Amino acid sequence: MGTRLAAMILAGGKGTRLQSLTKKVAKPAVSYGGKYRIIDFPLSNCANSGITSVGVLTQYESSELNTYIGNGEKWGLNGVRSLTSVLTPKETEEGSNWYLGTADAIYQNIDWLDRVDPEYVLILSGDHIYSCSYEPMLKKHIQTGSDCTISVYRVPIEEASRFGILVANEKDEIVQFVEKPKKPISNLASMGIYIFTYKVLRAALLADHKKEDSSHDFGKDIIPTMLSEKRKLSVYLYEGYWKDVGTVASLHQANMDLLMSAGTTNLYTVQGDNRIYSEDAHSTPQYIGANASVSDSLINQGAQILGKVRHSVISGDTLVEEGASVVNSVVMNGAVIRKGASVYDAIVGPDTLVDYNEKVNGERDGIVLVVNGKAARL
Amino acid sequence: MSQIIGLLNCHNSPELGGLTSSRPLASTSFLGRFAFCDFALSNFCNAGIDAIGVLIKDHQRSMLKHMGNLSSWTNNTKIGREVIFYNERGILNPAYNTDVANVKENDWVLYDSQASTIVVASPHIVANIDLRPIIEEHMARGEDLTIVYKPIKDADKEFIGSYAFKVDKDGYVVETAKNAGRKKEANVSLEVWIMKRDVLFEILKAHERVDMSFGFRETMEYLLKAERIKVRAVPWTGYARRFDSFKHYIDYSFEMLNPDIAASLFVKERPIYTLTHDTPPALYGSKANVSDSFVSNGCIVEGTVRHSIICRDVKVGKDAVVEDSIVFSNVSIGDKATVKNCVIDKYSIITARHAIEGDGKTPIYLKQGAIL
Repeated sequence: MGTRLAAMILAGGKGTRLQSLTKKVAKPAVSYGGKYRIIDFPLSNCANSGITSVGVLTQYESSELNTYIGNGEKWGLNGVRSLTSVLTPKETEEGSNWYLGTADAIYQNIDWLDRVDPEYVLILSGDHIYSCSYEPMLKKHIQTGSDCTISVYRVPIEEASRFGILVANEKDEIVQFVEKPKKPISNLASMGIYIFTYKVLRAALLADHKKEDSSHDFGKDIIPTMLSEKRKLSVYLYEGYWKDVGTVASLHQANMDLLMSAGTTNLYTVQGDNRIYSEDAHSTPQYIGANASVSDSLINQGAQILGKVRHSVISGDTLVEEGASVVNSVVMNGAVIRKGASVYDAIVGPDTLVDYNEKVNGERDGIVLVVNGKAARL
Repeated sequence: MSQIIGLLNCHNSPELGGLTSSRPLASTSFLGRFAFCDFALSNFCNAGIDAIGVLIKDHQRSMLKHMGNLSSWTNNTKIGREVIFYNERGILNPAYNTDVANVKENDWVLYDSQASTIVVASPHIVANIDLRPIIEEHMARGEDLTIVYKPIKDADKEFIGSYAFKVDKDGYVVETAKNAGRKKEANVSLEVWIMKRDVLFEILKAHERVDMSFGFRETMEYLLKAERIKVRAVPWTGYARRFDSFKHYIDYSFEMLNPDIAASLFVKERPIYTLTHDTPPALYGSKANVSDSFVSNGCIVEGTVRHSIICRDVKVGKDAVVEDSIVFSNVSIGDKATVKNCVIDKYSIITARHAIEGDGKTPIYLKQGAIL
């Protein structure tokens, strides 16, 4: 028996601009929001949308990510009729190949998709932060009888040249797609979330695989080809919070967006029906010390705060000692901030030690990243 | 350790005042994050015991909810399993609803298993005991029964009513008596019993012959006095508390706010496992003012919290003050409300501007779902 909707999560990216945060882990496995990894968001969204077949395509530094995904249990995707598969590049009769592009990654797993036998396929990015159900998008895809539906959100027109921009007619049908246009004529940016009718996608991938000049990418190849073939492509307008964290500064900002003072979105406003699931570390209760002071922050269980924390996001199993202060910063799992140290406008990476009286970004020059792994050896 | 069955014994749990009126002690919340049974179950897990039986006396709904899918405390989810022992008939006959009767009623678990050794532990003893070497020694020496005790110097205040032992120079129990609180020094029982399979069957037989109202403790005491078994006693000198009253619940909860004491219970090598609720980290507002407290995930704190324990999904409104209190999960404390010296049970609501203050001696207890 086939499945209605299968999800394929593209999680192979390196995330080069996140610098040393992604030296040993893929970007989807990067810590976010004190408790989560970025990929918790698309995976929780799949779970909350009633999707039971999820393929996660990994490539770059994949061992930590593959281990984390496991059988999908953390997101409840291990039920009797569920399937969560980690799909890495493999050796085949034709030889062995890395995933050459987003479309090639799906192409190389056509066998997996054939076995799952879905009517529709949802293509997602493993490194986007947003909370939603994909059900309304699928409903629209079916109602409009589209071959492909692309999720879009409105960006300020002056920023539109940084995105893949879609032009749609009054029936939400896509008439034009331009990757990073110099003079944008629309502000509908592609979120890299696609629903395809599987038969159409399958044919498109087989055809694309044979093209020698193709870069095997959805945005650059598959979508433009489908448009030129007069296929029916529609847009689905997404209006909630959505963030693609490409840089250290944008990861920092996405964390700060979770604070109450940000007033926009936080993990509490997105909970409701769309809870975000994650790993539950066996940590101790979060302790706020007798001389500590904490305000406008998000702090996970297992954190010990004995010093000052302002406008920050603190992960579990961390220690902020008495007399230390953390301001406008993100402190990731296992980090230790020693007495007298101060941290401003920074991301302190996993297991990083900020030593006694050390000043991180005291001159407050942009957002800095500190990663040293020294706390793991304490 | 596949030749071992661990039994979590919920039969002898003392009452903790109103806290245990609708739930067993075993599933009562502790430090905002744990239930009492987590400690004994984690001790089993950390010792590599995979086959676990849970002896439930009453309030099974609350207990089953916390036990989840019955594999949260096992290392191998196929080999390991948690089995619920429940004595259906015992409910109508409380005087005979003992731990031994429960095991007898569910003895197919024993016949199903080749286990050579049975380890029993109780949820009202909170301790992070390294059971592995104790069990290994018990097995290597071929002992009948090994019990774990704690030598204490404040027996006039602690472990009252618990069994205390006189131990000879070889480490064997020569005399048992209940701690009446008359002496300061005593070797008090931590209610961990490691027994040979044959000894367990002997206990089951003796229970039937001698007195059907006996539990394990009484039957073992009888067999010891009749010189039918030898009982070896092993000391545990780490942190251990016996939760036996509402007052002790309060005192022992608050003593964990001392980081040194907390560090003696929570050790890195032997984590305490519990059920996950997928709640986001605690969120503090810009005017939050929190000190000397445990705060659990899912909380939104916009007011002042001092010297308190705040469980999961609690809201503390703007300019609200919470002091010297324990607030259970899903409680909402309105703006400008004041809560001092209180224990507020689950799902309660303290409306805006309301003030409730206990006197310094015993905190006020607000039952589940109270609205003030």
